Amino acid sequence: MTRLTDLPPAMAQRLAELECPDFTTRPWVEGAPLSGRRVAIVSSAGLVVRGEDPFRGRDPDYRVIPGDTKPEDLLISHISINFDRTGFQEDWNVVFPLDRLRDLAADGVIGSVADTHYSFMGATDPVQMEPYARELAGRLKQDAVTAVILSPV
Amino acid sequence: MSALGHYLEEEGIATVAISLIRPQTENTKPPRALWVPFELGRPFGPPSDPGLQRRVILAALELLERAGGPAIIEDFAEDDPRAQPEPGWHPPPVAAASVDGSAEALAARLESEIPLLQGAHDRWFGRHGRTAIGLSGLGIADCGRYVADWVRGKAPPSPRDGFSAPLLLRFAVDDVKAYYLEAGAGEGKPSSRELGDWLWNETAAGAAIHALRSACLASEDERLKLIAGNFMVPATRVRGAG
Repeated sequence: MTRLTDLPPAMAQRLAELECPDFTTRPWVEGAPLSGRRVAIVSSAGLVVRGEDPFRGRDPDYRVIPGDTKPEDLLISHISINFDRTGFQEDWNVVFPLDRLRDLAADGVIGSVADTHYSFMGATDPVQMEPYARELAGRLKQDAVTAVILSPV
Repeated sequence: MSALGHYLEEEGIATVAISLIRPQTENTKPPRALWVPFELGRPFGPPSDPGLQRRVILAALELLERAGGPAIIEDFAEDDPRAQPEPGWHPPPVAAASVDGSAEALAARLESEIPLLQGAHDRWFGRHGRTAIGLSGLGIADCGRYVADWVRGKAPPSPRDGFSAPLLLRFAVDDVKAYYLEAGAGEGKPSSRELGDWLWNETAAGAAIHALRSACLASEDERLKLIAGNFMVPATRVRGAG
């Protein structure tokens, strides 16, 4: 089990004090009630579909996870080894809660689940991720996504 | 995560982030975040607990209907019951440690231990229907041999196109760790700490990866040093770490 307090103090402090780029805007998008939202997962766990190229380092781009990906075909290639992987090994919903989103859609709590989901490699400099994130926004809009749940590890 | 949320919201898509490190989220101020008290690596809580996972994701999604942002941080109150040790769990038997502490003895012990755990790993796969082994693209026996040859000091070439030898070593070590952590949970529901204690303190794989890390850190190959220092042994398991 690894919580922030379990890590060596210097590493814990580095993680706790991580800063964002100095943004000049504070965007805030509102929308329909949950029952009308189409939801996608964007992970920073370095997720990759089995057989595709894993993240090799601090790659700034993202990987595509089609909605029909099987649980046994999703792997973590995040460069950090300082977080628990046993939960994900047993049940992908620990990191990639696609089954839970489907449950919520079936119950009418959310409108629908996106056709496609995505993963970045979270240890990457966010400034380098920016063009890929903006390109991803276009893909999400093409899929009519109106809400994204951001999943770290 | 916070920067991604910022970029996506600027492009007109609403976001909500799960936060595992509250001070980090307080610094980076994503538009909306739900802090969860779970260990790193478990943003939606314990495995095989759809009820708790649903409560987490619903608590996060409900922030999308909240007014008053940006920069809403909400706390999720429930903890992960699977973080507690399972008293009845017993790990599968492993190869006995040799009094001969040579690299060859360590490598040979690793190679003989991997098939010894196959039954436990089969039980894991039977229960959960999935495995996280696969980054190296090698079968687990080949992974074990590749890592063992590095322990022997052979520096074997990469058998996979497009993957340098140090990169393949990193992924092979990842796959060996995944195999052990799955085999260790072939029966019962051990906590991640119990599984880590077993892997790093009792198995040939733990001893071999520790030894390999030390050997690679003493190498003159900077890439190998980087791989060894960052990608083999978790910071909480490095010997001598506090």
